[in-house]
Amino acid sequence: MRIDSRAAFDAAVQAAKEKVTGRKRQVFVCCGTGCLANGSAAVAEAFAQQIAEKGLDVSLGLFLKRTGCHGFCQRGPLVVVQPEGVLYTRVRPLDVTEILDQTVANGHCVERLVYRDPSTKAPVPKYADIPFYANQTRVAMRNIGKVDPADIEDSLANGAYAGLVRALNDLSPDEVIAEVERAGLRGRGGAGFPTARKWRATAMAKGERKFVICNGDEGDPGAFKDRSILEGDPHSVIEGMVIGAYAVGAHEGFVYVRDEYPLAVVHLGVAIAQAREWGLLGKNILGTGFDFDIKVSRGGGAFVCGESSALMRSLEGKVGEPRAKYVHASERGLYDCPTVLNNVETWSDVSAILARGGDWFARWGTEKSKGTKAFSLVGKVKNTGLIELPMGMTLRRIIFDIGGGILKDRPFKAVQTGGPSGGCLPESCLDLPVDYEQLTAAGSMMGSGGMIVMDDRTCMVDVARYFLRFLVEESCGKCVPCREGLRQMLAIYDRILEGRGRPDDIGRIERLARGMKLGSLCELGKSAPNPVLSTLRYFRDEYVAHIERGECPAGMCRALTRYEIITEKCTGCHLCTRACPTGAIVGKPKQKHAIDQGKCISCGACYDVCRDDAIRFGGRGRPEVAAAAQ
Amino acid sequence: MRSGSVVEAALRWQQRLSEGGFWAMVTVTVDGRSVKVREQAYVLEACRLAGADVPTLCHHEAVEPYGACRLCMVEVTRPEWGGHTRMVASCLYPVEDGLIVHTATEKVLDVRRVVIDLLLARCPNTPLVRQMARKLGVEETSYEKAAEPTDCILCGLCTRVCDAIGPAAISAVNRGIGREIAPPFKEPPPACIGCLACAEICPTGHIKYQTSDTSRTIWGKTFEMLRCSRCGRAYVTREQAAFFERTRGIPASYMGLCDSCKRKVLADTAAQLCVTR
Amino acid sequence: MERIFRVVVERCIACGKCELACAFAHGEQGVPGRSRIVIDRRGPNVGIPIVCLQCDDAACVAVCPVAALCRNELTGAIEVLAERCIRCKMCVAACPFGNMLWDSAYHRVAKCDLCGGEPRCVPFCPTHALEYVPADRAGATPEKVIADSTL
Repeated sequence: MRIDSRAAFDAAVQAAKEKVTGRKRQVFVCCGTGCLANGSAAVAEAFAQQIAEKGLDVSLGLFLKRTGCHGFCQRGPLVVVQPEGVLYTRVRPLDVTEILDQTVANGHCVERLVYRDPSTKAPVPKYADIPFYANQTRVAMRNIGKVDPADIEDSLANGAYAGLVRALNDLSPDEVIAEVERAGLRGRGGAGFPTARKWRATAMAKGERKFVICNGDEGDPGAFKDRSILEGDPHSVIEGMVIGAYAVGAHEGFVYVRDEYPLAVVHLGVAIAQAREWGLLGKNILGTGFDFDIKVSRGGGAFVCGESSALMRSLEGKVGEPRAKYVHASERGLYDCPTVLNNVETWSDVSAILARGGDWFARWGTEKSKGTKAFSLVGKVKNTGLIELPMGMTLRRIIFDIGGGILKDRPFKAVQTGGPSGGCLPESCLDLPVDYEQLTAAGSMMGSGGMIVMDDRTCMVDVARYFLRFLVEESCGKCVPCREGLRQMLAIYDRILEGRGRPDDIGRIERLARGMKLGSLCELGKSAPNPVLSTLRYFRDEYVAHIERGECPAGMCRALTRYEIITEKCTGCHLCTRACPTGAIVGKPKQKHAIDQGKCISCGACYDVCRDDAIRFGGRGRPEVAAAAQ
Repeated sequence: MRSGSVVEAALRWQQRLSEGGFWAMVTVTVDGRSVKVREQAYVLEACRLAGADVPTLCHHEAVEPYGACRLCMVEVTRPEWGGHTRMVASCLYPVEDGLIVHTATEKVLDVRRVVIDLLLARCPNTPLVRQMARKLGVEETSYEKAAEPTDCILCGLCTRVCDAIGPAAISAVNRGIGREIAPPFKEPPPACIGCLACAEICPTGHIKYQTSDTSRTIWGKTFEMLRCSRCGRAYVTREQAAFFERTRGIPASYMGLCDSCKRKVLADTAAQLCVTR
Repeated sequence: MERIFRVVVERCIACGKCELACAFAHGEQGVPGRSRIVIDRRGPNVGIPIVCLQCDDAACVAVCPVAALCRNELTGAIEVLAERCIRCKMCVAACPFGNMLWDSAYHRVAKCDLCGGEPRCVPFCPTHALEYVPADRAGATPEKVIADSTL
């Protein structure tokens, strides 16, 4: 099995392809963490059991495959039937018999399980026709959902390690870097630093010992692209790392996986072991004499350890605190040796680029942001999940065409990109092409690709506070601006959201934000003010309303919001009464209803269910103003 | 004046070592003044040589720079940067030939004020912090005062000094706003030798201890004092003596005499030599 | 090393002027520091001046954890770099002769630094018991045994 030459590789790939194409009928069950959480393991078990009982593997040549994440996690458990290319959503173990009898045996569709267009409700049975997938350009995620991550031959049949063979046999290390440069690849972890430039600096750095590291910490709340790649196609990352190691002259590599991704750790372990067995990792890779091996290291549960210098400290066994990056990791990184650290998605892109060419990758994207990017589209959008798109697609297309628009067709209010380091962009930014520069200029950033969509029932001041709360817990605490600044910023927000804002609070926030941006030791602190500053930039009126009038324009801050039924419009349908958790609505069916303010907790459930527009909300008014008015 | 003596010390070092051809020198411009400084220095040293008043709280010549207080931040640029500048911590930014440093721009002063303002909220009753705040133009904090004020500014000097000496008995623990200096598991530290160096270097006097002729207590750990065998004066702790033996090869018998009595022994020797002449 | 500090013990009359000179040379604004030369008084007008021997292979330099002690090549004296000293007092414990002192008035360690090349005590000694002489003149007299830095 050990591949020790190009010819042996080609033969192995040929054999793998024959094996795979020999599988005429296949059922893919998504076993990414999202679908597993929804119960897909039981679905896979049910398939396995029934296939065995009915002998379908023999009679129909049916092959069951457990794959990684398809991305459409909201609709899981997901099952794909080949060769029809039908996608079934929300599959239960009880549905398995029907799928086997109807679709696998007879080629008929099980209508109730297919995806339906959220607006027209029309069924879209084929995977390739679903807009969520049809609009994607999957490069980093090219094989996820197609291959079994625990079977290296499946990956080989789908192109894995072709890039590595080319790099080691046809290209010098410099030429490899040039290929990555032609691709215009920029780091996909958040900062968007040109990858070739980083590699070149490390290649030129003096040092006997060099390292390559894969950053699998993925700390942004709501981000899960790296998890999907590590779980679903670990070979794409391993291959990328070997290529990178060859380019810079490293022989040791680490994958730092956050502790909260146990499945990724397992799948990585299996893939690494198999890669070693097949001569694609370890000593004398592919018989070329190049040595490189990878160790997997688990994080301890700290967002700050996603910061590259803190990650390296953590890898060394020290406390994960960042250091000032006046000397780059390319000169002195892990153990003070030249080190390349790249994100999971970047490594996966690298292997694709070396296989297909830098020019191929650069076909997509904008002038300065080439290629494709993975995004996790979540929030108040109809189709939520993981997508990969060419850079340069507008936010409007992403949210409305791929995302299917806002849930319940409510008005769009904002989209938050880039995680805790990013910002909120309003409707006026919807036609912004998504790339590094554009997002930064608008006051947000690409980050690792998180996109949280918000509707009109979102308080933007509260959104900023959400991120402050997160960061206050995750700051390492070493430097004053970040540790004390976040604490004080949060205290100001807590006051504002309770209606105790002071007239000079916005000025105070802005001054503090400036100090944090300029003075913090690392990017966590420097970018912490971004959600604050972007919401101030685009939604200042909401801050003013909270501070000056003690009012929440979105009606979400319970302490500041008062709900009332508009008597003239009330039809007595009684829906609100049933929705109210405290029994605060008084009224018999078919009669006018009213809200008992004494019991009302301003949760807004009545507002959300009323179909007659008969409920309105407004500020409670400042207590002292109300008192004075009396 | 502190800054004067630092300048003297730096000049002495530099003179001594550069005359020996030991170090290469580079030229840096600080607030318009040109200074020569050794190649391995950080920008803070250049600033001090140029007479610029750059405040620090977590800096000490004895230990590696830490970069935690952010008071020493300056704005740097190079001619070829076309006007672009960087805000850097001068205690950690290495000097380069041709570097241009500004220690009192608007951005720099903004950061300093925000930092000391935040520290004042954390440590409202600490004289050193109040003093520094007043000097930077901040009379009262703009933020919420800590419910339980502390004197600890988390400069990390105590931990760094303890690491330098060897025991490494205390460390910064917990993350974010929970960060504090403590021994492992907040129990009396097994490694502590009771040398009090942490308390000595603490700029705010936050680290408290009791010491007497017979015992010493710090960080919740109590030590027995060794007494001089000649005069009975309390000298070092038993753990200190053991530490010196273990790490510096100083035999325990050495600690039997205090420095005063060692001088007497030396005098005895001298006297004997004179008599025998 | 151009000059050597020499103590001629027989000439000492224990008047204590050297102690005063040293204390005020290392003090500020009238507050004397601790004298780095100490007279061990053995009787009326009989004393033995004890002062740092500027050892070649100094124990104090060896134990200092932060390299705050170093030799001044011009004067030959081992000096304390005040900004580096962390007051751990390992040097006080390590000196075999007790010549590293703790100056409690100024909360610092104190040792003879030959005043940077012009030892203040020398001109004050009425009997020339203290000398700062060119190295070649120091000679191999019994007095030198005391002043010899390899004791």
